[in-house]
Amino acid sequence: MAPGFSGQAVNTGQSIRLQDYAGKVVFLDFWASWCPPCVASLPAYNQMRRDIGTDGFEVIAVNVDEHSEDGLAFLRRHPVDYPVLLDPAGDIGIPYQLRTLPRSFILDRSGRVVASYRSYSAGDEQMLKQEILRVMGSPE
Amino acid sequence: MKHRVGTAGWLIALALCGSGPALGATCSCAGTPLLTAIDTSAREKGQLFISYVTEDHRISDLVSGSRDVRDETGRDRESFSQVVSASYALTDRWAVSALVSHIEHRRTIRSSQLGETRTSGIGDSVILARYTPIVITPFNRHEWALGLGLRIPSADDDLADGFILSEDMQPSTGARGTILWTGYTYAFNQAATVVFNATANYTDNQSNDRQYAFGDEVSLFAGVGHNMGPRFSYSVGLRYRRTDADSRGKFDIPNTGGEWLDFVPAVQWSLTDRLDLGLSGRIPIARDLNGALQFTTSYSYGFSLSYGF
Repeated sequence: MAPGFSGQAVNTGQSIRLQDYAGKVVFLDFWASWCPPCVASLPAYNQMRRDIGTDGFEVIAVNVDEHSEDGLAFLRRHPVDYPVLLDPAGDIGIPYQLRTLPRSFILDRSGRVVASYRSYSAGDEQMLKQEILRVMGSPE
Repeated sequence: MKHRVGTAGWLIALALCGSGPALGATCSCAGTPLLTAIDTSAREKGQLFISYVTEDHRISDLVSGSRDVRDETGRDRESFSQVVSASYALTDRWAVSALVSHIEHRRTIRSSQLGETRTSGIGDSVILARYTPIVITPFNRHEWALGLGLRIPSADDDLADGFILSEDMQPSTGARGTILWTGYTYAFNQAATVVFNATANYTDNQSNDRQYAFGDEVSLFAGVGHNMGPRFSYSVGLRYRRTDADSRGKFDIPNTGGEWLDFVPAVQWSLTDRLDLGLSGRIPIARDLNGALQFTTSYSYGFSLSYGF
């Protein structure tokens, strides 16, 4: 099972608990404002979420900037629709054994990690979308 | 995209293997170091890196102790190595690396009738296992790694030019060696765009079938690397190396062994997200060599291509 976490989304104000997403496929993305491919991926993932829709699917992002104001400043310039949590101390990231960024995971409806990705290049969101749709269509 | 592995990983790869087996220690020329060429870039489970590295050593300085001496013999010596290496991360902590080499030696003594002597062939191979108990992450600025390696003579070491040439002119040492190393890295910022790295290596050299053993070696490296964006990095460092005298049987070979201090600059370009090009050099700062006279490295430079899967 994917390590659980909770927090308040700084952009949407939602109270987020991973276990509340049981029954939904989750794309979990770790990023930082100093990571150029992370920065490039955010609008791509935002569009991917719009394409797939939120019926049975959600994107949750975790910003790991040690100075959270850097991540917040980036979000103000480049807002996204999906919830973003702040994790400067690694309370969420350390259990996911982060070493490099960007790092993302696909969690199935049962909260299991079924895929993980270490990088982002332009166009990767198409591949991710196909994989997410496949996981959404898979029987539990 | 291997951002954040970039500077730390590359500098560690460059510096963890800051010196090599003294393949040409009979002239204390630093011979043809292989350890500098081995790729240790694989740092996350399943990563595989393949590298091609060349290194050219010009060995024309004649030294007495720590003093440069004019060479009256017109001696010119060059060693050129080509190395293919692979590094694979078995887990996020354990990785293995291996390399095979091709070595060319060229020696000219203008004052003699011998003319130019050239040798070339497959050199030694090296296998390394690396364990990293403490890794740099977005939440931790320190990294510490340990390694154990084995140098294997993988080809003949008895090329002849009328008679069997000396060990420093052979492509292979003909002898096994055991390599121990450790390295520490500190990232000055969360993005690890500026890192400090220090390493220490020890190589224990065994004898070949002619009872010749290159001197055991200690090498220390300290340097700083800077990642200036997604495509370009550079580093500067100092490398100290000390080798014992070579020996044949129970007897030390005179005029072998000593201490060297070099300045090591390097640059790297990421041509694509997977392909890196590197250039590096080694410039002597100081040396103190055993015996009355030794030829040693004037300078060396290298070129590398590395591809990550």
